Amino acid sequence: MAHAVLSHEPLTIEPLLELDRHPECGGLAMFVGTVRDHHEGRHVLHLAYTAHEPLAARVIRDVEEDTRRRFNVPYVRIVHRLGDLAIGDIAIACVVRAPHRAEAFEACRHAVDAVKHTAPIWKEEFYADGTSAFVEGCCIRDDLDGPEPTPHRHHSHASHG
Amino acid sequence: MIPITFELYANLERLAGTREYGMNAPTGVHTVGEALALLAAARPELAGSLERCACVSGDTIVRRADPLPADGRIALLPPVAGG
Repeated sequence: MAHAVLSHEPLTIEPLLELDRHPECGGLAMFVGTVRDHHEGRHVLHLAYTAHEPLAARVIRDVEEDTRRRFNVPYVRIVHRLGDLAIGDIAIACVVRAPHRAEAFEACRHAVDAVKHTAPIWKEEFYADGTSAFVEGCCIRDDLDGPEPTPHRHHSHASHG
Repeated sequence: MIPITFELYANLERLAGTREYGMNAPTGVHTVGEALALLAAARPELAGSLERCACVSGDTIVRRADPLPADGRIALLPPVAGG
């Protein structure tokens, strides 16, 4: 059975590492995004991630496969958290194993960026003043044409560094 | 009449105050784009957000020019912000 790429439960890192496998790999690159307590000058108390789960799961699996192929690395695992998260909770984890560090770093960065830009997941931030807002993100519509500009790929969102 | 159900996500759900919105389209409506035009007319508070939405049937993005999904369900996905 395929591994889960979306989780409604807190994420744990160790099961993603597979340190006892892939003897051909000398490098492991990992990115862990955690919930930050501020966004564009506002104090964030907590947040909620929602998703179109069937498409989000497919997109993340496609990103894993594309990353493996593009960077020629044997192992890419991505898990994204859904539901209510507190400050410091893990929002996304990505692990890449590769023969050498260069492709591990590059593949990991590519995979995380691709998920953030294409997976239908939304972040609603809840602020200290009692309000909330969905973080502005990337349009994933792929048939904008005519006089309109190409899809806006603005990337102002990030709950973490 | 053709029953259509729009699934609303994120800020669209907030704007509409509902997770799903159902409507009956005239028999002359054949495409996703035509259905969206009907939605914009019926729920003008959503109209300004529809341009930047992707439309999804099942786990596949469909385009404005595509025919209506057989099950009449269209998920509307505003710009994404995971990670």
